Amino acid sequence: MSVLGPRGQAFLWALTLRLVPPAAGAPPEERARSLAVADGALGRRPPAVRRQVRLFLLALRWLPALGYLRPLDRLGGPAQDRVLAWFQDSPLTPLALGLWGVKGLVYMGWYGRPELGERIGFRPVLSGDEKSRGG
Amino acid sequence: MRSRVEDREFDVDVEGSGAGGGPVAKELAPLSREGVRIAVLEWGPRLRDVDYTGRELEMAERLYRDGGGFFTRDRTVTLAMGRAYGGSTVVYTGTSLPIQGRTVARWAVPGLDHRDLGERSEKYLRENGAHLLEEGELNENNRLFREGCRSLGYHAAQFPVNVRGCRGTSLCNLGCPNGAKQGTHRVQLPEAERQGVAVVTGCRVERIEEGACHVTVENPGFGLPSPWPPGRYRVRTRLIVVAAGAIESPALLARSRLPVRLPALGRYLTLHPALILVAQHDRPVVGSRGHPKSFICDAFAESHRFLLETCMYFPFVTARNLIGFGADHAAMMGAMDRLQMILALALDPALPENRVTVDRHGEPVVRYRLGDEVLDSLHQAMLASARIFFAAGARRVHAPAGARFFLVPADAARLEEAIPRRRVRPGRISITAAHLMGGCRMGEDPSDSVTDAWGQVHGLDWLYVADASLFPRAAEVNPYITVMALADRVAQQVRERLARA
Ligand SMILES: Cc1cc2nc3c(=O)[nH]c(=O)nc-3n(C[C@H](O)[C@H](O)[C@H](O)COP(=O)(O)OP(=O)(O)OC[C@H]3O[C@@H](n4cnc5c(N)ncnc54)[C@H](O)[C@@H]3O)c2cc1C
Ligand code: SF4
Repeated sequence: MSVLGPRGQAFLWALTLRLVPPAAGAPPEERARSLAVADGALGRRPPAVRRQVRLFLLALRWLPALGYLRPLDRLGGPAQDRVLAWFQDSPLTPLALGLWGVKGLVYMGWYGRPELGERIGFRPVLSGDEKSRGG
Repeated sequence: MRSRVEDREFDVDVEGSGAGGGPVAKELAPLSREGVRIAVLEWGPRLRDVDYTGRELEMAERLYRDGGGFFTRDRTVTLAMGRAYGGSTVVYTGTSLPIQGRTVARWAVPGLDHRDLGERSEKYLRENGAHLLEEGELNENNRLFREGCRSLGYHAAQFPVNVRGCRGTSLCNLGCPNGAKQGTHRVQLPEAERQGVAVVTGCRVERIEEGACHVTVENPGFGLPSPWPPGRYRVRTRLIVVAAGAIESPALLARSRLPVRLPALGRYLTLHPALILVAQHDRPVVGSRGHPKSFICDAFAESHRFLLETCMYFPFVTARNLIGFGADHAAMMGAMDRLQMILALALDPALPENRVTVDRHGEPVVRYRLGDEVLDSLHQAMLASARIFFAAGARRVHAPAGARFFLVPADAARLEEAIPRRRVRPGRISITAAHLMGGCRMGEDPSDSVTDAWGQVHGLDWLYVADASLFPRAAEVNPYITVMALADRVAQQVRERLARA
């Protein structure tokens, strides 16, 4: 079952587009798979962690409204980046850590998919390399 | 799951099957022939060959506690702990380094000397097939590190790795798909089983007391099923050897409410807090081919308290450890076949306030503060690594505390400015730890230690500890060989104890 729900997933995808620009070209099935990986991983974490992540996503979406009168995902790209950088460098450790956690979720969804390996130059060969037979 | 509690009976229970539990099981195994019943109770699963898929997230879920996402209480450090038949030795890289004399002297545990640890370490280096890879087996990532260090005059040495028939897939931290890495799942546990030791996987020890431990058996849905049906058990036993690792061993002792006062329990935890540092070259540096790890630079161990080692990480872990996002981040991640990587390990002090406690459910809570001393070390490690990267020819270097995402060769002359110390803050940079040590430290005085120099818990002659939690301070090198050497001492003590009885 989805932890984030459709709205949470839509927001996570909006973040994905800022954090991982190549995701903009992703076809719908790739977007779905990336979100499923992130949501699924969150589902395996303890309930307290799930709650914290959901809460932080809410804060990340709506705190910018205090300054910009709009939630994060309704801002232009550069403004979104400024907000994300502000969270990342925040002297308030919980805000910096919260963003680090959410980035982790996004990167898990995007880079944690084995099928991406070829595209980014990560090509381990499971049965090994005939050339390098250490030991 | 059954609600009835079933009984089982053994003479010795070893709890945990990693670098500590494996050698204890193997060393005690010959006693099976004399009728001594020995069991290893292991929380994690026993994987079949086909379960090693090399897929990052899948293997992390299968082999690591909390899928690799176990955090300190303030969430500033991610702790990596293996949870499997073989414990963390299934996911370790196999760096096989014995402890140094100066560290044993710092440990200052009466009754523990470097010669004894050295001899026992040698035994395990041999047993695990540790050896230096040949020149032709070193991959580009390792060669670049050596070249960079040499051209700067930093001392870098090749270390042995414990592989037999390594095929250079570089997947060691996801479990070796070729059975080449010689963890306890390949060496000590199979030997113990051959001699009659029972290994029960999927079996979490919840609580211990004199004469018994209380366990729950569950099957995870992959790997081989546990030899015991799922349910709760009381396992009667004469002696207990706890080897559940530096987080779970102190937690197990704490939740068991033992009939002795152990004020040092859980305290003096050290982690070797680590940074993964990454640089991009113009030409291929295919880290995903060849064994990932062969070199260490110890030039700063005494002066700035850090070590640098070669390493290779997988896409998700790499992405998470780069600080930043957007186009630069994606450019770095899109060049996985041109990345050089260095692991920086801070040699952290043992402080009583860094400790493992338990929450109301008995689960471990790790309180660990990244003090200025450690942050200074990590800062210096970033500077030294950046120098090594540039000296090795990297075009772009990412320092997690860098003023910009990418540093370029022109920055090499003013690295202090480009990587300001003030940006090295907990929460802002990504810090991980895989060398978890202490919490049941050895010593003479029960006010600041938990066991004696042979792993027996103060005041309890039926209870021993035999894992990384015994370390009174940090190992100051990769710890597994020292864990094995200490476990060997504990096994000797248990043998003598049984002989006396
Ligand atoms: C990714 C990674 C890479 C590493 N690389 C190296 C390296 O190259 N060289 C090196 O020297 N060191 C390395 N280390 C560190 C090394 O693996 C550990 O220091 C060593 O394995 C610790 O031994 P241990 O017995 O204390 O714990 P572990 O080996 O972790 O074993 C503890 C076992 O106890 C089990 N357990 C926990 N709780 C319970 C319970 N309640 N009931 C039953 N069982 C339980 C766990 O499932 C686990 O299997 C690495 C560690 C990691 C995680
Ligand atoms: S590099 Fe060698 S030891 Fe490591 S996973 Fe590959 S085959 Fe196994």
